[in-house]
Amino acid sequence: MAAEAMDVEAPARPPPTASAAKFRSPHDLLAETRASIEKVAARMLAIKRDGTPKSELRDLVTQMSLLLITLRQVNREILMEEDRVKGETEAAKAPVDSTTLQLHNLLYEKNHYVKAIRGCLDFQTKYPGIELVPEEEFHRAAPADIRDKTLAADAAHDLMLKRLNFELVQRKELCKLHDKLEKQRSSLLDTIANQKKFLSSLPSHLKSLKKASVPVQQQLGMQHTKKLKQQHAAELLPTPLYIAYTQLLGQKEAFGENIEVEITGSTKDAQIFAQQQVKKKNGTLLNGDNNRIDDDVIDEEEDSQRRRSRSKKNVVKEANNPAVAYQLHPLKIILHVYDTEDSGTKCCKLITLRFEYLAKLNVVCVGIEDSEGLDNNNILCNLFPDDTGIELPHQMAKIYAGDAPNFSDKDSRPYKWVQHLAGIDFLPEVPPSVGDDSNRALNSADLSSGLALYRQQNRAQTILQRIRSRKVAQMALMWQLDYLTKLKWPRIEHKNTPWASRTPLCSLHSWSLTGSFPEPSPRSSLMMSGAASSVDNDIERRYVTHWEETGTREDGELPVVILAENEPNGSGSTMLLPEVSPEVRSHYRGLSLISKSATPSKLSISLSFGRNENDLDLLMYSDSELEDQPCTHEETEKGSLTKNKSWEDYASREFTMVLSKTLKNGPKVMLEAKVNISMEYPLRPPLFILRLLSEKSETSKWHNDLRAMEAEVNLHILRSLPSSCEDDILTHQVMCLAMLFDMHFDEDYKKRKVTSVIDVGLCKPVSGTMLTRSVRGRDRRQTIYWSGADRPSSYL
Amino acid sequence: MSAATAQAHPAMDARGWDEAAYRRGILRGRDLSCRTLFRAVFFDHSDEPDPDVLLAAASSDGSLASFSLSSCISSATATPSQPDAAALVDPVCIVQAHRGPAYDVRFYPDPQQPLLFSCGDDGRIRGWRWHEMQSCLVPLSLQGDHLEPALDLVNPQHEGPWGARSPIPENNAIAINKQEGSIFAAAGDACAYCWDVESGKCKMTFKGHTDYLHSIAVREANRQVVTGSEDGTARIWDCRGGKCTQVIHPVKNKAFKSSWVSCVAIDASESWLACGTSSGVSVWSLLSNECVFNLDCHAPVQDLLFDKNQILAVGAEPVLSRFTINGTVLSQIKCAPQSAFSVSIHSSGIAAVAGYGGLVDVISELGSHLCTFGSRGLDK
Repeated sequence: MAAEAMDVEAPARPPPTASAAKFRSPHDLLAETRASIEKVAARMLAIKRDGTPKSELRDLVTQMSLLLITLRQVNREILMEEDRVKGETEAAKAPVDSTTLQLHNLLYEKNHYVKAIRGCLDFQTKYPGIELVPEEEFHRAAPADIRDKTLAADAAHDLMLKRLNFELVQRKELCKLHDKLEKQRSSLLDTIANQKKFLSSLPSHLKSLKKASVPVQQQLGMQHTKKLKQQHAAELLPTPLYIAYTQLLGQKEAFGENIEVEITGSTKDAQIFAQQQVKKKNGTLLNGDNNRIDDDVIDEEEDSQRRRSRSKKNVVKEANNPAVAYQLHPLKIILHVYDTEDSGTKCCKLITLRFEYLAKLNVVCVGIEDSEGLDNNNILCNLFPDDTGIELPHQMAKIYAGDAPNFSDKDSRPYKWVQHLAGIDFLPEVPPSVGDDSNRALNSADLSSGLALYRQQNRAQTILQRIRSRKVAQMALMWQLDYLTKLKWPRIEHKNTPWASRTPLCSLHSWSLTGSFPEPSPRSSLMMSGAASSVDNDIERRYVTHWEETGTREDGELPVVILAENEPNGSGSTMLLPEVSPEVRSHYRGLSLISKSATPSKLSISLSFGRNENDLDLLMYSDSELEDQPCTHEETEKGSLTKNKSWEDYASREFTMVLSKTLKNGPKVMLEAKVNISMEYPLRPPLFILRLLSEKSETSKWHNDLRAMEAEVNLHILRSLPSSCEDDILTHQVMCLAMLFDMHFDEDYKKRKVTSVIDVGLCKPVSGTMLTRSVRGRDRRQTIYWSGADRPSSYL
Repeated sequence: MSAATAQAHPAMDARGWDEAAYRRGILRGRDLSCRTLFRAVFFDHSDEPDPDVLLAAASSDGSLASFSLSSCISSATATPSQPDAAALVDPVCIVQAHRGPAYDVRFYPDPQQPLLFSCGDDGRIRGWRWHEMQSCLVPLSLQGDHLEPALDLVNPQHEGPWGARSPIPENNAIAINKQEGSIFAAAGDACAYCWDVESGKCKMTFKGHTDYLHSIAVREANRQVVTGSEDGTARIWDCRGGKCTQVIHPVKNKAFKSSWVSCVAIDASESWLACGTSSGVSVWSLLSNECVFNLDCHAPVQDLLFDKNQILAVGAEPVLSRFTINGTVLSQIKCAPQSAFSVSIHSSGIAAVAGYGGLVDVISELGSHLCTFGSRGLDK
């Protein structure tokens, strides 16, 4: 209020100053008055203080009162002035206020309009993305009634409207077209459905037709249906089996080979198998998934029993599980081999083989399908050299299969020749499921070049020939063995050999199977039980092992003394001379003992035998002591030899034949022949090992003769026999042996007439008698001559 | 045997199958194991101390082979895979010396040109230049007929009525007399012949045996020869007159009727005679003409010789026996051939036993086996 008062006072001040001339402004007056009052007051105060007479006081009071009245007047005047100024200010303020209000209203209005304008500017059409035909096309294609009509004043707008109209017209037309086409489509769908229905009904018609045609096909011998089925199955075969199948089939068709090839097994399984392989190739499947899918598949396909067994197996890891490692491909090839000889229209079936594929091992196995015979398992052994089929043919499979796969018990085996037939030697070693991608891709160039070599080598033909000849030979062998086990001489017709036509004078005393390899029970157990004393036996066995380890290196002591039993010259190393071998062996035994531990034993003394005369007695002593158990040593030796048996002896059988003959002057002579017949018969002819069953002094006299007879039977007659009677080799050998036995042990062979030859040189009577010459040469061979077509004479 | 077959045909399977070759291989293996080495002798006449001992062997297929013992030992030890079978070794040289078996082989110790004389079933005696055999450059597979004999003698045939001729008798044994330059042959016609090496003429015929001769030995000092025959006697002949001076019956009082004298040997001092017979060994003193001892062996004796004052004998059993002159058995060493036809001894004391199976067993002085080998033989 004071400030306002000041403000109001301030502009009011100049007027009093300006009008001072006319009249004094109230404020000046106020100040004057006040000053006069103060003067009066001061005088009064001074009077009071001076104590001057109070005369003047009166005057002063009146003065004062006058002054106060003036003061009040002035004050009133000021207030009045103030009120007037206030009223003036109020009056001036009213128009200002209304103007301000008006301004505000206008601003608001303006903002509103700006906003509306902006809204209008930002306004978008309802169909913003209408694709219109370009302007040029509109001008070109729009009909006149649209183009020429003016719809709006603005040219651009007009154009736009026209274009929109045109668009509308066009679209309407298109919609109409669409509807029409839709209708057409539905009608077409209807016809398709109809035709499909017809098609689906067609196969059953065809099937019935096909069924009806089968008897006709059979009648005509075309086998079209079967062939198609086989071809379909062939596509699902794994590559090795496919090669074997196609090559065998090709052989059959090209050369008229007397075989039948067919594929058996479920094609559905094969398809599933192939799908699995593909999945595995992609590498997306884990083992567990794989097995599960496998299971699912079997769920669908197989009965519950097999499923159970399978799921049980899944628990075991795949690599260690032999059942998985030996997993067979579902498809198999069956090969029927018929006889080639055209004995009438109907050929007899020789053998039926079953080829199987071990998918994990990439190995093809073969087995006999119709195993009606008891010993048929081994018939395919050693079809080619060193091919017993008890081991997996390549390293990869061996490693994959883990420890010691045993095929000897199974009826199908992975022979090498089967792998060759299946071309596995030029297919990659690694099956598709193992190894990386680069290996997996089958190089088609490699394959074709491999197949070219395959054909060049005539593998299929060779193998078929071998199988056929093997079976024929085995049948012939069975026939001959049949005779021999009945102790009858097998009869053969062959002109060129003297033994075939003559009846032996000796008799077939016995014929028995005495050994086969592999043996059903190990011989070592026999050795144990047959041993006279366990300690001795123990030493014996130690000797055997030691002997194998050190071999020939020890002090030049070449333990060559014991020859292999399968060699003809090693025939009777211990049998004929059992009194020598224990002695020598004890010598070695002593050696092994000394070298192992320096404990002196009774046996070790014999080490020095042959150098010192004094030792001889000791030697003889131990000799005679050992002599009463020669059979033990014999057994042991055999036991150690069975380990050394090679592939040639696999599936071989040993027969013991005894020929006997009673001489006129009493004694009976028995000739024992151990006949070793290998699976390769007749390619590897039976091996005869002879010995005489009579007292020792007699037998050693005949030693050279027996060896010569062996040589004749085992070797020489084979060279003179034509290949046509190859399968009857055993008979020839037996008959020849009988003839030789008759001749050597003829009581009056000194006076032999027919077969002896008179040496003219000895004809000159030296002692007055005519001599026939019966022996010749340093080995005192007995000489016989016979005539034959291809070989004028032969001697023994 | 089987190893050799496998080596000869390394890749025999369904690929490129050759059945004929395989069959041949099997028969060849059997052939080798049925063969007999009738004689194996050491070449023991070289002056220089040759470390390599050489050996010549006559086989029943008529072949004559020479072996170097050091290479035999090395190859025999190099293949210990089959300890029970003898190793097959390649001979240094092999010739087809005779048709039919070759029965005997002896060295003619000429210092310049040592000759190897062989005889056989075809009745021939052939002399081969030993150096030529040793230094031959022909590869082994082509050997056989690559050498010509230096000397070729044929036994005479006997004339019968109307001019019929007997077959040529075989020669079962030969003996060499270097001083006189003659070869003595024990022939199949019960005669012994004396041949002159220089002229190749038959100098003397010794007749008297009643059956064919098995063996012959020379007693140089007395100019005598000793023969052993199938008729069971040994005869001592005088070389100057060709007359039989003595008939020895080593097996006279034996029960076994058909006995024969298969080998005779005279010791270095030429005072002892050993006869191997069908039943044992019989030793005679040539000075006193008395039988020293008769020893029964289990098997017929087929060869024997004197080693200083001991006797080594082999027979139709796989044993090499050593006797003293008194008839005491010193030792019996097992040897590889089932039936041994030859024993010979080197000056170093090594003995070689050869016999059936085509095997040679070389046994050291101490009785240990140095090596055992079979010859590969000729490819026929």
